[in-house]
Amino acid sequence: MLDLVFLAAFGPKDDREASPDAALVRLLLENDVGAFEKLYDKYFRIVYSLVLRIVQQSGPAEEVVQDVFLQLWRNSARYDAARGPFVPWLLTLARNRALDTLRLKSERQRRLENQTDELFSIVVAPRYEQELDEKRRAERVRSLVGELNPQQKRAIELAYFQGLSHSEIAAELKEPLGTVKSWIRNGLIRLKEGLHTAS
Amino acid sequence: MSNCDQFREMYEAYALGALDPPERSTLEAHLATGCAECAKSVAEARWLVSQLAYLAPEAATSDMLKGRLMQTVRSEAKSKSSLPVATAPRTTTSGIPYWLSAGIAALLLLTLYFAWDAHRLKQELRAANEQNQRAEQLVASAAGERAATQQKLAGMEEQMAKMHRETAILTDPASVKIMLAAQKIQAPQMVAMWHAKYGIVLTGQKVPMPSGNRVLQLWLIPKAPGGKPMPSMTVRPDANGNFVLLVSNPPAAGSHTKALAITEEPAGGSPAPTTTPKWVGAMS
Repeated sequence: MLDLVFLAAFGPKDDREASPDAALVRLLLENDVGAFEKLYDKYFRIVYSLVLRIVQQSGPAEEVVQDVFLQLWRNSARYDAARGPFVPWLLTLARNRALDTLRLKSERQRRLENQTDELFSIVVAPRYEQELDEKRRAERVRSLVGELNPQQKRAIELAYFQGLSHSEIAAELKEPLGTVKSWIRNGLIRLKEGLHTAS
Repeated sequence: MSNCDQFREMYEAYALGALDPPERSTLEAHLATGCAECAKSVAEARWLVSQLAYLAPEAATSDMLKGRLMQTVRSEAKSKSSLPVATAPRTTTSGIPYWLSAGIAALLLLTLYFAWDAHRLKQELRAANEQNQRAEQLVASAAGERAATQQKLAGMEEQMAKMHRETAILTDPASVKIMLAAQKIQAPQMVAMWHAKYGIVLTGQKVPMPSGNRVLQLWLIPKAPGGKPMPSMTVRPDANGNFVLLVSNPPAAGSHTKALAITEEPAGGSPAPTTTPKWVGAMS
């Protein structure tokens, strides 16, 4: 919700609005079922893969995926292409919904409560970001993360796929808190630099 | 060093959801000031974090999912019924109103507040239950809405359970009251109520704000001779210096504890105290 405060800070809308995905999302406002089906066919696989990795069971994973796409269908007006590209926005939504499911299941406290209004979340792609198909993007990310040391990778995965905090990861890995923080930050910075270099 | 420099190392962890509560609160408080630079950096960090989705092993869902989904979507498009837009998460009033002035009167006020809030939550629960029942009568198109409602219900129930626990600790005569006196600083006492079954509620009012990102950390001092202080939870007061900290699972039993102490520690807390206690209270 905090992000709403800063909408004005991002200046005029850019040319991402003209992306095919953004055009399809705009058609959802007109109840265009065909546009919805195209978006589903294009992205259900990565969304389902992500959600299944988090919740671990196919039944609950399908429920989350259904919920995510129904949210997209019913609340497409909330997606504003000026706030960023569609796919990262959709993945952020899917991840947070999946983590919510995981936390409710294990009665964990909702850490991301203030962040989980994903429908408002702003995601801004860096200048070097370019359009890639999903397969090439996956190869690139896996390759870069694969270059990290195993513990660094493990710490990032615990945070991303299990929603653990720095302290929880430190306890899980039995490593000092400062070490865990450094692993995660440095790992993500390396990923960022790797994506920049590769583009 | 500009004001934003202290936050640069937090952007990625914040987008990842990995910041511990004190650091997250600090960054969010800064974002709430309208810092466009940090907001943009957080938004870019979200993009970076979203790329981690591609680490998930590729999996294929069943055709039935698409079938169910498309059936729902077609049905809704046909009826053109304006389904309820998902509302923003209810901003719960976890912040406690001004109530602590030490003593029974303040405790009564807090209890009344909890009772009122619990009543409100019950009403919301009842409304959500009714909504859920209606959803069950709908055709397959209501499946997604029902899931969202159930999720909301579960979240509200979780919060109610937390409030009940706090109320039980504060009102049960079995709870032990511990007054924590300030040590060598000008600050009001803190009050802790310790219930053997439900845990500890620690409250502070007009507490001096810890410097920078530092937090206040609660320690349990063991009765055993030579026993080391046992770390518990951390908290950072709000802008008015007030806080309420619930420790559901204290690291030791009250019968084994000699005193409670509060120190100022780096964000995230410390495994052992790094400063001398600012507040100390002996178990009665």
